[in-house]
Amino acid sequence: MSEHNEQQEEKNNKTRIYKFLRVLFHPRDFLGILSEDRYKSLKIRIVLLDAVLSLLPLFIVVTISYFWFQQILKDDFKNQLKWELENTKQSIEFFLEERLSILRFITSTYTYEQLSDQRTLFDIFTKFKREFPGLADIGVIDANGIQRTYSGPYRLAGADYSNQTWFNEIVVRSSNLSDVFMGFRKIPHFAIAVKREVPDKGTFWILRATIDMKILQKYASAVNIREDDDVFIINREGVLQTPSRFHGNVLEQYKENFSFREDNISIKEAGQSEGTCDICGYAPIKNSPWVLVAVIRSSPYAKIPNIFRNELLFITIISIFFSIAVTIALVQTVVNRIKKADQAREVAIAETEHASKMASIGRLAAGVAHEINNPLAIINEKAGLMKDILEGSRDLQQKREKFLSLIGGIFDSVNRCRTVTHRLLGFSRRMDISHDTIDINDALNEVIGFLEKEIIYRNIRLDLDLRKDIPKVVTDKGQVQQVFLNIINNAIDAVQEKGLIKISSYSKDEHFVRVSIKDNGSGIPRDKLKHIFEPFYTTKGKGTGLGLSISYGIVQRLGGSIHVESEINKGTNFFVDIPIRSETV
Amino acid sequence: MKQKDIKVLVVDDEVAFANTLAQRLRMRDMEVGTAYDGEQALSKLNKEAPDVIILDLKMPGMHGMDVLQEIKAGYPEIQVILLTGHGTDRDGEEARRLGGFDFLNKPADIDHLECKIRKAFQEKLKRTV
Repeated sequence: MSEHNEQQEEKNNKTRIYKFLRVLFHPRDFLGILSEDRYKSLKIRIVLLDAVLSLLPLFIVVTISYFWFQQILKDDFKNQLKWELENTKQSIEFFLEERLSILRFITSTYTYEQLSDQRTLFDIFTKFKREFPGLADIGVIDANGIQRTYSGPYRLAGADYSNQTWFNEIVVRSSNLSDVFMGFRKIPHFAIAVKREVPDKGTFWILRATIDMKILQKYASAVNIREDDDVFIINREGVLQTPSRFHGNVLEQYKENFSFREDNISIKEAGQSEGTCDICGYAPIKNSPWVLVAVIRSSPYAKIPNIFRNELLFITIISIFFSIAVTIALVQTVVNRIKKADQAREVAIAETEHASKMASIGRLAAGVAHEINNPLAIINEKAGLMKDILEGSRDLQQKREKFLSLIGGIFDSVNRCRTVTHRLLGFSRRMDISHDTIDINDALNEVIGFLEKEIIYRNIRLDLDLRKDIPKVVTDKGQVQQVFLNIINNAIDAVQEKGLIKISSYSKDEHFVRVSIKDNGSGIPRDKLKHIFEPFYTTKGKGTGLGLSISYGIVQRLGGSIHVESEINKGTNFFVDIPIRSETV
Repeated sequence: MKQKDIKVLVVDDEVAFANTLAQRLRMRDMEVGTAYDGEQALSKLNKEAPDVIILDLKMPGMHGMDVLQEIKAGYPEIQVILLTGHGTDRDGEEARRLGGFDFLNKPADIDHLECKIRKAFQEKLKRTV
């Protein structure tokens, strides 16, 4: 029981899914909108689907290549930055090495005693300064940290350095490079000191030179930077050694977190600011407390060259345009084909339906006629016999007239029945299909002559366009004329007073002559159009409703065809195709 | 040659029709017999040997076409006029192909029928001479 319910449930679900898909793919069916709109919606759906399918990969490729290109630019920029930092770092290292060498050279060339002489020191200072600008002063300091001699713009002879860290350090090492400091002069500078051992006396002395910080700054600013970027030097503790644009002045603390490797240049992407990512480069300078720092905030890599972006945009737009244009053209063609095929199929179905309907009506009519014919034949013979008897006998003289009139009535009704049944079967001249060689135009003219009075009486304009070059046809003239008569009669009934009937004849192809009978009457509604060839169908309110069905039968039997086009309030056009060589079917 | 000499056999399953038509034709100076189906008609041919047969198509038992075929096989000189209420074009063609003299539809005009019978008789005379 429960299993059964489950199955039922599953089935319901399937039906629901199917319905949903149906609504999704055929919303118009769901909404009950049909015909022309159906093709339009089909077009729109295919175009959209195709556009999504073709444009999605395009967008993906474009987006990926855009970011990929941006990444390449970024990497490229990082490499360039690294290279520049490397260059600058080497320059600074070389500069420091050079200064150190000179000091070492001086300490090994001159003795402590020589340098204690103010004039010698001044001489060295002047020469040194001439060769290497940026030198602030130079001094000789003894093992107790007292500056013995000094040459420079200040009066610093006798200054005591014994408490300063650099002095304590240099006692252990042979040379020292200090951080930038303000010193006694309140000008940022740094000091290079070289220790000279005096082994025989077991003591030492120090040559110390101070160099203006600006010289460092000059090196730092050699790095190629833009407006928002910053290049400066800090010491290992993060104290600024040169002024920076955005990170404070000399001796202030560098506030960003930083980390680097001692042996290499590190390029890092640091804190997010205003939507762009800072790139920081740290280049530690060998044998010094310094680190060269570059903070790149301008993110030039983010500005993808306009040409590339424009090209990308151009190509994308062209692609979109082309793909949509091609899709629309393609869909137009395909849907139009589908539409034509549908229409052809509808026409074919309608024709088949019509033909089979006609056939079954024909069979029915034949059956009815047969059944009527037999009793009619008996009536006919009985009445005929009564007439024969009456004519032969003189005894019933008084009743003779009455009898005869009654019999005449019987005959009349027999005739009427006969007419209907014979016409129903198209029997009127069934056995007498003749094969006359006729000119269709002559046949038409005869029929028109027959109807001329009616046409003139009703003030109808008759427009004849009968081509002289149509071939003569072999057919049954009387039957063809009956067809024309029926159709032209209908046209006369259809048009208003002063209406127009146009009759034309021309060669349809090498097998058929076509006669077109066109009126500008009220037209036949679409739903009635399919019934007009059925027997007993009439819209005129008079007549038997047999005219067109008989015409249809006749033309078919002659091997031709008859069809009609009609538009409401514009008129109706009948086309009768008559085979040039008629064959009785 | 006297007109009385024309011997006619009316074959029709509608007894009333056959009898009445026979009577009317007799009044037109013909010697008329009747048969109400195909077998009966064929069996009468030996003794009576009509000149012209008026034959219905749709009858119980033998169909008119078969009767026509038998007649033409055994007595090719006898002229057969088919008179039927069931006739179609195709039947007409078939009848002519099988040697029928004419093909008429019920109800037929008596004068027209008489005329055809006389013509058929002329045809028979022509053949037998």
